[in-house]
Amino acid sequence: MPGPDLLSSQGLRLDGRRPNELRRIRCKLGVFTQPDGSAYLEQGNTKVLAAVYGPHQASKSKSTTEGVVVNCQYSMATFSTGERKNRPRGDRKSQEMSLHLRQALTAAIKTELYPRSQIDIYVEVLQADGGAYCAGVNAASLALIDAGIPLRAYACACSASMAWRNGEPEPLLDVGHVEEAAGGVVLTVASLPNTGSIALLEMSHRLHMDYFKVVLSRAMQGCRDIEIILDKAVRDHLAEGWTKQDVVTI
Amino acid sequence: MTGHVSIRLASERVNACVASGSELPRFYTPGEVISGMQDFMRGHGTYAEDDCLKASVAGVMQKVNKLICIRPLKSRYVGEIGDVIVGRVLEVQQRRWKVESNSRLDSVLQLSAVNLPGGELRRRSAEDEQMMRKHLQEGDLISAEVQSVFSDGSLSLHTRSLKYGKLPQGTLIKVFPSLVKRRKNHFHNLPCGISVIIGNNGYIWISPQKHDLMVEGNVDEIQNYDMQPVTRSDRETMARIKNCIAALVASKMMLDDTSIMFAYEESLKYELVKDLLDPEAMLDIAFLTQHRINNIMEE
Amino acid sequence: MWTTKTFLTKTKRGNILKIVREHYLRDDLLCGSSACNICPHKDEEYVLDSKPDSVCALFDYPHYLLLDTNVVLHQIDVLEEDALKNVIMLQTVLEEVKHQNTAIFQRILEVINNKKRKFYSFVNEHHKDTYVERNPGEKQNDRNDRAIRKAASWYALHLSVNNVAGQFPQIVLLTDDENNRKIAQEEGIVCCSVKDYIENVNGFVGLIDKLSKNVIPETCSKDALYPAHFTPTQIHTGIRNGKLYQGTFHASRDNFLEGTVSVNRFEKPILLQGHIGINRAVDGDLVAIEVFPEEEWRKPSDIVLEDKADDPGDLLEEESALLSSAKPLDSSKDEITPTGKVVGIIRRKWRQYCGILMPSKFPGATRHLFTPAEKRIPRVRIETRQSDVLASQRILVALDSWPRNSRYPLGHFVRALGPIGDKDAENEVILLEHDVPHARFSEAVLACLPPNDWTIPEEEIKKRVDLRSICICSVDPPGCTDIDDALHARPIDGVTADGLKKYEVGVHIADVTYFVRPNTALDKEAASRSTTVYLVDRRIDMVPDLLSSNLCSLRGGEERLAFSCVWEIDENANVLSTKFHKSVIKSAAAMTYEEAQITIDNSSRKDEIARSLRTLNALAKKLKQKRLDNGALLLASPEIRFQVDSETHDPVEVQAKKIMDTNSMVEEFMLLANVSVAEKLAEEFPQCALLRRHPSPPPANFTTFLKATRQQGFEIDVSTNKSFSKSLDEAVLPGRPFFNTMLRIMATRCMQQAVYFSSGTLSHPDYYHYGLACPIYTHFTSPIRRYADVIVHRLLAACIGEDVTHASLLDTKQADSICDNLNYRHRQAQYAGRASVALNTHILFKNRIEIESAVVLSVKRNALQVLIPKYGLEGPLYLPSDKFTYNEEEHYQICSDVTLKTFDELTVRLTLDSTNLQHRKLVFQLVKPHVPGFSYVPEDSGMEVESVASAEEVKETPIKKRKETKQSKPKKKSKNQ
Repeated sequence: MPGPDLLSSQGLRLDGRRPNELRRIRCKLGVFTQPDGSAYLEQGNTKVLAAVYGPHQASKSKSTTEGVVVNCQYSMATFSTGERKNRPRGDRKSQEMSLHLRQALTAAIKTELYPRSQIDIYVEVLQADGGAYCAGVNAASLALIDAGIPLRAYACACSASMAWRNGEPEPLLDVGHVEEAAGGVVLTVASLPNTGSIALLEMSHRLHMDYFKVVLSRAMQGCRDIEIILDKAVRDHLAEGWTKQDVVTI
Repeated sequence: MTGHVSIRLASERVNACVASGSELPRFYTPGEVISGMQDFMRGHGTYAEDDCLKASVAGVMQKVNKLICIRPLKSRYVGEIGDVIVGRVLEVQQRRWKVESNSRLDSVLQLSAVNLPGGELRRRSAEDEQMMRKHLQEGDLISAEVQSVFSDGSLSLHTRSLKYGKLPQGTLIKVFPSLVKRRKNHFHNLPCGISVIIGNNGYIWISPQKHDLMVEGNVDEIQNYDMQPVTRSDRETMARIKNCIAALVASKMMLDDTSIMFAYEESLKYELVKDLLDPEAMLDIAFLTQHRINNIMEE
Repeated sequence: MWTTKTFLTKTKRGNILKIVREHYLRDDLLCGSSACNICPHKDEEYVLDSKPDSVCALFDYPHYLLLDTNVVLHQIDVLEEDALKNVIMLQTVLEEVKHQNTAIFQRILEVINNKKRKFYSFVNEHHKDTYVERNPGEKQNDRNDRAIRKAASWYALHLSVNNVAGQFPQIVLLTDDENNRKIAQEEGIVCCSVKDYIENVNGFVGLIDKLSKNVIPETCSKDALYPAHFTPTQIHTGIRNGKLYQGTFHASRDNFLEGTVSVNRFEKPILLQGHIGINRAVDGDLVAIEVFPEEEWRKPSDIVLEDKADDPGDLLEEESALLSSAKPLDSSKDEITPTGKVVGIIRRKWRQYCGILMPSKFPGATRHLFTPAEKRIPRVRIETRQSDVLASQRILVALDSWPRNSRYPLGHFVRALGPIGDKDAENEVILLEHDVPHARFSEAVLACLPPNDWTIPEEEIKKRVDLRSICICSVDPPGCTDIDDALHARPIDGVTADGLKKYEVGVHIADVTYFVRPNTALDKEAASRSTTVYLVDRRIDMVPDLLSSNLCSLRGGEERLAFSCVWEIDENANVLSTKFHKSVIKSAAAMTYEEAQITIDNSSRKDEIARSLRTLNALAKKLKQKRLDNGALLLASPEIRFQVDSETHDPVEVQAKKIMDTNSMVEEFMLLANVSVAEKLAEEFPQCALLRRHPSPPPANFTTFLKATRQQGFEIDVSTNKSFSKSLDEAVLPGRPFFNTMLRIMATRCMQQAVYFSSGTLSHPDYYHYGLACPIYTHFTSPIRRYADVIVHRLLAACIGEDVTHASLLDTKQADSICDNLNYRHRQAQYAGRASVALNTHILFKNRIEIESAVVLSVKRNALQVLIPKYGLEGPLYLPSDKFTYNEEEHYQICSDVTLKTFDELTVRLTLDSTNLQHRKLVFQLVKPHVPGFSYVPEDSGMEVESVASAEEVKETPIKKRKETKQSKPKKKSKNQ
């Protein structure tokens, strides 16, 4: 069986989590003043910054009357992985990630509200320890909220993998780099947990249909858990930023 | 060039919050259900789904009769007719200027909406169209008033008053539009000899006061005056005001002439202007300002 | 739910890479003790008793044991005994064990999983109170020891909370690390060495025997016989900078002082000679070796050398004979092999070994020597007080260590298997030695079976193609109960474009997968067994008897489920179309090869079966010819059948298997079916089809073979299988009909093993099956006895939409691991089968002496390897060096006018030498050609005694049985005469 080592016989993972537990998530909104919205998010050792500019006037070539143009850029810092590596912006992987980010976030943004506008979302991975895409989506989601851009709901992303415990399949939530590297399948889901809809689904290897459901539902559960965490962060941020006068002016 | 640079660890960050925070309003976050659809009207920051009214931004609820809006902590500027804004000319087009005004679409200043030399009732000639760039060119800052709002949300501006128009020497600071209080007057001559234009769009223009009243139409003199150097003391005061505004913004305090003036006065205990960039000092100023405002409100 | 503390573990490797990993510390981990008042246990989570009984006299109060890593690593056999209960296994310990020895790790897991043993594994590394961080400069080992002590004191404290003093169990730390013990005592932890603890355990006889001998550190040089091994760091750097090589050590079967290691850098395996050269490596170990400079390279010795029978004490000897003989005498470069020596052991691959005890000559002694059944394993010194009982038993022994000052490795007794010579015990030895799972099927497995009176349900028949009306028959060896294939053939209307007649031919294979559903206990058991193992008198089934001999077996006249492969074939045996479907069949007759042959030959029979068989036979011959034209090899191996006495199950007669036309007929169609299925699978599942390939043998394999054939005057072309096949066909000696078969037997030994593989792991050209000369091949036709076929059935069923796929089926990696297991089990099963044949041959020859013709297979320095074609028996015929001279270059032995070389035919006398019960062996004596003073002369007994005595290597011959002539039939005697 592949990856019997991912779960100990006591049901703990390599880093001490149980299969259904997320890594520790810490996040902060409004870390920059320059962009309209920004957020920093740590998911375990994966650390991501997101910045949002807009909505602003779209350039003529991109401009559409149907809705806002969402422009995403995903990049990884040279120091983000164990080995320092120069990553030219727009390499294949980043481009793919940018497209995926865009797909997930466009689903959340109420694009129809802002015709002829554009929103730029920049996601920079400061440290990659597995699930950088998920962290990117979650951070971007926070940055969008920080920018006051109307969203249908939080866009949350979470990954899940498969392991076996005593011969029984047991999906693992929020896969870290070690587990990713162990070669198992990694299913990445970006969803709007509030509505239950899935914005993006990506799988690294082949997984048999029999197991797909359990893995997916575990990943969805992860998205819901993340939403709770993000929501709390947003409320804390609001409480911090709200002054009495605002209430008075209303 | 050796500068004095201090870099702080994130853990040493100063919590800039000055609000007493005992009574927090009810916050709504995106996707949260506000109420059933039946009784209410859908306003900004909300949307309808599954017969429910849901929030689309994170913020507090504003209810005007049956209209429900959710106002976010910060967002791009949403213009209203009569707002004073400060903006920057992006482009010169056929019979109009494109102005960047921190709203989600660029604003428009029609050639017909500006005062041209030669009186109000002058007909715009083809020559004027060719002379547009002479009047306002790309990169110029202007103050203007929102004349109307187009259906797509973009703004049409006018500068048909002497107080509007091209901004000469001064400094611009950008803040979140939501921090600017809507007042009758957004042009303030502060007692310290500096004038401030607090644009509704979050752009604040700080410039030295014009000492003598200008005669209408005396264009040459104005331009002449514009080219004169600003005194060092004025520049220092301007910088101090800018830093005060930054301090207030860091603590998410509302901006108007009173709060700016209070902050300025409180800042005088810091001798050097650059000391005001210190996070502790910023918090101190914001806190003292808040205190004074509270006192006024109690009175 | 989880603590938010994050600890970072940093590791460095290679070109300094900082790895930061998360490490979550939890507060929801349970201590597992019933005496605990704090942890929120659920009922089933209590593992440790609240008042454990103490079995040790040293600690007469209730206590839990906490084990150190060294205890688990060295005393696993003690732990496997039921004596110790209520034991806490720390995760730190488990991880260290796993890291150092996976086999022991598996065993300790078994112990933990055994609910009765009350072993609780405590995840101390993730518990917020027991986690310790490595201090700067602290060694990993020291940290782990500290973690163990920390956990011990935590447990003591934890249990004392809310408990009346003296009412709760104490913690006793068992460790063999003196240093650790000292610090623990200082910290107030009760601790003890395993030896002290076990020696004071009451009521468990024999527990002490299982105690592993204390390990003497490598650095200790007192009375050292062997040079010290390098440290792991030295080995690591040595390998890194290319001075050392690593590889698996393979001991020689013939010479206990010789072995080889295959290293990638060198084409030939590296030769290791002598005690020092081998330096305590045991067959299978992963070793680090140093290769000598080229001028010291030698060639493999060709003498057969066995360890002396008696215990020489801790001395090394016998080197000289070996080394002198191995000196390169001439410059024949091609025989010189890179030579080296073992400088370190990277990983021991020790398992438990079967064998017998050689009791010490001194009565009452506890130190004895143990001789393993496997010749490649050295003798082992063990300590036991039960030597008088065990001397007559087959026993299982585990190796513990091999210190520098001991000639033999040290081990300890594990369990007795049964009396020597007892059939069951001997079979047990064969099965254990070849790692054949042979326990009874578990309840869980049996629960997966259909009821005994199961019949095919109606709806199943509706789903399948109904072939019950077609005349299908099976042809198998006599006595076969697991019939997994049946055939049919019938002419069909119409002709091909060339005007040839068309036939429909079907191969019907038992539908085992209908009963063996994926991922059931039955399936897992079958996968683990992988193959049915045939011993001479016993069959170890892969699936339970109900399936193998009844429900799956395609018995005559009974309706059975089958998986059919049906072709349209023209007269010239060209396949026109192929289809696969599941079906229901009713075999018209289950015939033996002989019966089928008679049916075909009996021209008076004109019934449907006979017609069908004749068609099949005719087509098969054409198929075979085509195959041979393609270059398929006809290889041979000596196969024999025992006729077994119905009462005692002792073999009474042996004969070579008869090959008939019908054998080949069935074989051809099975091959055709396998190839057809393989093609279909590779097309549908390019990533995970289970196929079988046979790599072409490297030319080096043929060197000796070609030399021998040249001596007989034949030039064999081995460049391709086609040319090889052709030249084999041409190599016929008119006067010696057996010569060609002999050649083929020898050729077979030059071949590589055919192996299963998953199509995703190799590129297409590597799928080639050399022996069958077909580009793609698999096993489809024997699902009852091979698990590979079960997988193939499932894949094929998925292809044709008859069955759903399941996850493990489509996973390349998993398929690969299944293949590894299949190959391993398949090989072991073959070896076990051969061992069983050897065992029975010995039993057969217990009471008889035969004179038979034999053929020389190979020539060694001091012996000839001979084969008796009649029995398929093979063995050494020792030649005294004072009479025979060995020609090294040309491989022959000369004694005055007699020359013995490979392929020569001889007459030999066969007897059984039972003096050494462990290795009872057949003794071959030369009868013809006659060599004065050496050859056995039947009439003159006196001379033989002398000649035997003079032959040094032939240790002893049971002369007392000589009176029984070769014609005498074996009498049924009691086994232990």
